[in-house]
Amino acid sequence: MHIADGVLSPEVCIAAGALSLSVVGYSLHKMKSSLGDRTVPLTGMMSALIFAGQMVNFPLLGAPISGHLIGGVLAASVLGPWAGCVAITLVLVVQCVLFADGGILTLGANVLNMAVIGSIGGYGILSITRRLLGRGRFGTIVGAVFASWLTVMAAAALFCLEFRMSWLNSDFQFQNIFTWMVTVHSAIGIGEALITGFAVSFILSQRPDLLHSSEKPAGAVGTFSRALAAGVVVALAVAAFLAPFASDFPDGLEAVAERAGFNELAAEPKILVLDDYKVPIAMHGWQKVSVSLAGIGGTGVVLIIGLLLGRTIKPQAANAEVRE
Amino acid sequence: MTSGYLDRYGRVQSLCHRLPAHIQFLLAVGMVVTGLSIPVELWPVQVFLICVVFAGHTLAHVPMSYLFRRLSLFLPMMLLLSISLPFSQGFERGWEMMVAILFRSTLAFLTMLWLVNVMPFDQLLITLRRFWVPEVLIALLSFMYRYIFVLWDELDKMRVARRARSFGQGRTIHQWKVSAQLIGMLLIRSMERAERVHSAMCARGWDGHVRKLDSTPNTDA
Repeated sequence: MHIADGVLSPEVCIAAGALSLSVVGYSLHKMKSSLGDRTVPLTGMMSALIFAGQMVNFPLLGAPISGHLIGGVLAASVLGPWAGCVAITLVLVVQCVLFADGGILTLGANVLNMAVIGSIGGYGILSITRRLLGRGRFGTIVGAVFASWLTVMAAAALFCLEFRMSWLNSDFQFQNIFTWMVTVHSAIGIGEALITGFAVSFILSQRPDLLHSSEKPAGAVGTFSRALAAGVVVALAVAAFLAPFASDFPDGLEAVAERAGFNELAAEPKILVLDDYKVPIAMHGWQKVSVSLAGIGGTGVVLIIGLLLGRTIKPQAANAEVRE
Repeated sequence: MTSGYLDRYGRVQSLCHRLPAHIQFLLAVGMVVTGLSIPVELWPVQVFLICVVFAGHTLAHVPMSYLFRRLSLFLPMMLLLSISLPFSQGFERGWEMMVAILFRSTLAFLTMLWLVNVMPFDQLLITLRRFWVPEVLIALLSFMYRYIFVLWDELDKMRVARRARSFGQGRTIHQWKVSAQLIGMLLIRSMERAERVHSAMCARGWDGHVRKLDSTPNTDA
């Protein structure tokens, strides 16, 4: 999951670093104003928790490997988007400097993909889902499941963009790598969604007050910034689904790159466009089908997981109300 | 688990360990950047740089068995990830990209391992402070480092309890549920612990500001 050094070009690393630096800086500011003197113990403990939680292995049936939690949505659902983002950033920093896990130059890109998208974007999706489905257990769990899956997909899509920008001067075939990444990550995302869903439903049944509720500091968190964060992630996700259909046109990035006047591209733009058309039609069709299937299948599975988890919890909630 | 597990070779005395922390940091970053900017065609230079890093490890008394164990985990991962390139990017071009990525990432990985083993965590915090990283982040990092081990121990206890109740017999989905609940339980416990720690900090006059207590020689004095 972590991008190693050498995969992305230094320019992309710098750009991603600058972007995540500003977002994390803003998160620090927001976090201090909302948590006050509880900032250090709460956020530090959350980072340590996510770090330790990643040691819990989840066996994969019939495979010699096992998965683990990423944790962006889990952190955000307890601490809120800003502190969650800082917590995941710290986890990534420590993994980089203590385990050499993920590169030091690509730290910015890793923070962007996992902390910013995972936590701030995930929180946006979570709160939108809760608005649609109600603020009870059902809405929260479905929201957490859906947000985890979408953020993993968005991170994969973002990685493809970063990777593509890193190899600008080659005759890069964006679609192939995109298909591969999105297909693999729709499966990884289901794992993350399951783990987060189970964990959130467990917390809801034990200590529901621990979960961050956006309602108490009504104006403080700001509907606007939430909507903005959610918008970014939804846009990325939509791009993930629509890209295979739109990509009959020469890829949008190439058009942008051409207009921006990158030297190599500007020198031979025609060859690039031609290369794209050289891809056999049959291949095009297959890719479209596979990406959309991955998308539709994944969405369906995630929705079913969310609904099932919500259903198993619901009777208890009803009982609790009766008891009161 | 103790900090000895993480900073295993951090306290060894050697030429590399005696370097000031910020020099170590700049050396490592410089090496990674150099490795990144070398084109694929000059692969002998990459090999040479990898040899240099190996020499650095030897100077720092890092055992080769440790290096090869870490590499044996890292290389198959990178291989698995980059093997898709020859298939997706056309064989010739994809092969070139794959070789470039493998060389660069191996060099960077070895360099970072060197840094990890040469610089203990407290030195890292001091270095970060020197590079104008905000005070809050440093405080958060040190707090996190303090509690990682506590939470690991707690996790270990919970794992033992889980195994004692014959975990591992059920279907995969059940195992997943139990493992996720383990994380949820750990979260609840650690948040309660954070509340207690916060009360204790308040009782000792915590007002949200970090007071420095580090071993950097004060240059003003």
